[in-house]
Amino acid sequence: MKQRASKTVVIVGGGLTAGLIARQLTAKGCEVLVLERGGDHSKGPESSLPNQRDELRWAVRQGLIQDWSRETYTLRHQHNQTALPVRWMESFLPGQGLGGAGNHWNGHLWRWAEYDPQLRSHYERRYGKQAIPADMPLQDWGVTYAEMEPYHDLFEKLFGVSGQAGNIDGKKLPGGNPFEAPRSGPYPQAPLHVLESGLVFKQACDKLGYHAFPQAAANSSGAYTNPDGQKLGQCQYCGHCERFICEANAKGSPQVLLYPMLRQRKSFEVRLNTQVLGLRYDAQGKRATAVHCLDLLTGEEYEQPAEVIVLAAFTMSNAQLLLHSKIGTPYDPVSNTGVVGKNFCYQVNTGVDLFFKDKWFNPFLASGSTQILIDDFNNDNFDHTGLGFLGGGTIQAYQFSGRPIKGRRVPDGTPRWGTAWKQANADWYAHSMSLGVEGSCYPHRGNYLSLDPTYRDVYGRPLVRMTFDFRANEQKMAQFVSGKMMEIARHCGADKVGSLQGLVVPFDSRIYQTTHIVGGTIMGETPHDSVVSPHLQHWDAHNLFVVGASVYPHNSGYNPTGPLAALALRLGDDLLRYLQAPGRL
Amino acid sequence: MPHSVDSPSSAPATASRRVFLKQLAAASGSLPLGQALAGGTAAALLLQAPDAAAATTKAPVINTVYGYESFGPDEAAFVESMLNIMCPADAHTPNGVDCGLAIYIDRQLAGSFGQGARRYAAGPFLQGAVQCGPQLPLTPQQYFKTGIAEADRAAQRLHGQLFDALSPEQGNAFLQQLAAGQIQGEQLDLGEWFNSLVYPLFCEACYADPLYGGNVGMVFWKMIGYPGLPATHALDVVNYLGKPYPGRATPKSIADFS
Repeated sequence: MKQRASKTVVIVGGGLTAGLIARQLTAKGCEVLVLERGGDHSKGPESSLPNQRDELRWAVRQGLIQDWSRETYTLRHQHNQTALPVRWMESFLPGQGLGGAGNHWNGHLWRWAEYDPQLRSHYERRYGKQAIPADMPLQDWGVTYAEMEPYHDLFEKLFGVSGQAGNIDGKKLPGGNPFEAPRSGPYPQAPLHVLESGLVFKQACDKLGYHAFPQAAANSSGAYTNPDGQKLGQCQYCGHCERFICEANAKGSPQVLLYPMLRQRKSFEVRLNTQVLGLRYDAQGKRATAVHCLDLLTGEEYEQPAEVIVLAAFTMSNAQLLLHSKIGTPYDPVSNTGVVGKNFCYQVNTGVDLFFKDKWFNPFLASGSTQILIDDFNNDNFDHTGLGFLGGGTIQAYQFSGRPIKGRRVPDGTPRWGTAWKQANADWYAHSMSLGVEGSCYPHRGNYLSLDPTYRDVYGRPLVRMTFDFRANEQKMAQFVSGKMMEIARHCGADKVGSLQGLVVPFDSRIYQTTHIVGGTIMGETPHDSVVSPHLQHWDAHNLFVVGASVYPHNSGYNPTGPLAALALRLGDDLLRYLQAPGRL
Repeated sequence: MPHSVDSPSSAPATASRRVFLKQLAAASGSLPLGQALAGGTAAALLLQAPDAAAATTKAPVINTVYGYESFGPDEAAFVESMLNIMCPADAHTPNGVDCGLAIYIDRQLAGSFGQGARRYAAGPFLQGAVQCGPQLPLTPQQYFKTGIAEADRAAQRLHGQLFDALSPEQGNAFLQQLAAGQIQGEQLDLGEWFNSLVYPLFCEACYADPLYGGNVGMVFWKMIGYPGLPATHALDVVNYLGKPYPGRATPKSIADFS
């Protein structure tokens, strides 16, 4: 196979993490090549008025999402079942094209709890070693929040994050999240506007003694110039954010803030329409030597050698590339050995709709992150003694869009068509709001990724097989936190409170829940229990690094973007050190 | 494969829209129906609106696109009847056909969606957990049409008539049963067919941008008060906090900015 000229650093996947790593490396003149399977969205109808505002094309028909005809995943709930391919995925939405899922994300930004990277130690310390069930392989990450804090800070400045700090250097600030990990400074921009739904929710939370605060967001509350001189416009609250590209450049996104700048740098190159099919691995030398590429425009296959290779693709693709390239030992849940594919986690979602005859919520006046929420029942922010589960979730009044195909609410018992259906839509569209829970999902011995023995992608590679279900711990947690949500719902003064939309069990690929899937190439302190080291270096190939939510050993009740961005920026700096003296970091 | 629904073995559907259309086609020599018809649509004539002239003067905006790309006559008859039951003419909107809902579904099925674009289609096709999604070797268009044929045969079996010959009340009850999974298909799960394919297309037809042929005149957007495009609301979000938004009465669509 044809070989191209070797590059210093080759990054697989042109999304958020690749852009952040490349920012650190190219600032020092280091040569970086990014390989992205999709094209450039920046000049298309997806980024221009009026077609950007097309719910059917982008949100329903998934115009920015991975092409499932080329590559999908198979699903089974238990190890002993035969998995079937998900022929059209709704539950989570990987991106395609420069910017990746960073194009169509909502923009919620979290730093996780200070104890999240030491979650096992934390629980053992608080509740004793017996508190963690044997089939829940929680583990510490091998990195501390304090080590990540400067990178969180940098990322928030790069992405112009809008928010209200709750904890600066240990000092609690009114209006912010009292459970927030200590920050070195405030958010770069003021929080987004609070909507009527947020006011209703906050009032109820105040009555109940809970601590409501606005979501920190990469949706820019004002015009903003970041430390690199890159600019964000002011958010227009257009209600076309998640599943859409922001045509106003008001959502912190890699294709707005990173790639245009990187493409001006001499040592940076991005190769679009380039599908990575696998890695070449020298098992004796313990090195990844090259990336196997397919040029999707010409059909040419070639090998791209590199001194350093970084996997920065979506969670599933990172695991797939390692499994398919036979790097590292695949996880086996029966013998409980191996690591690749281990600790695959999703996230818990529940909700309830509220209806008020006399309140105007104007659901279409919204950004992707206009929500007020509480962190009181998330993670281990409350005492779990005697509850029979670990973890928790945020509870929020979210208002992201009033897009009419998918974003209408009607009371329970409304017919599904006919004049009464129309009447209910007319009556309640502007007069309803929703509460939701976004909850943690801890690892389970039986939840993992592997290669499917039957189904293949369009390139002939085995599909990734998900063996996943929400287990007893997550079901109990969902019930508990949903109970708290329903208590708040009853205190909102609604004319009608809908019934609880509980956790859907078994896991259902047909329902959108969240794109926050994590694990499969997890980080940890030893090769015995992790794929990559605390520096994201592969234990079996010292010049191979993996970054993204795929390295999280558990999922918290927070959106994953903050820590993965911090880890990516840190990796960029680590790689500069590595290139000085290649070896174990 | 299904036998033709054009040749029912009993109870000829003399009152049906399909027969009506055929008679009209024979008389006028052409389909679809043109502007000469009272009220501008075949449906208006079929319903013999008592005050068609008055209807034209008040003139709600209605579909003016005729001719199907995907549907044959029997399929068109089924779909039009279904949409006029699911969306009857009432104080909120004209009937489903006049709202462009049939054109929307026809065009979606004829286009990339109907051809299965971006949908994984490799075999084998095994049955298993429903949470994995449908496992059929059919494109959405094939699935839709196969379902119509099966549903029509079920109507024939249960009521002695094809679906479009049922009274609106009978037709509505039949659709309710379909949605509840109470009507057995021969090879398809008709409840799954209706809920996972037909019903989402119906909702899209009502609420998608009129660019795609449904929601004619943005009638559904006006009904709920969705203002559409261009949606630059940085000031509105402050000025109309907790208050009615004036733009809800005069929505704008992609065509208004193209």
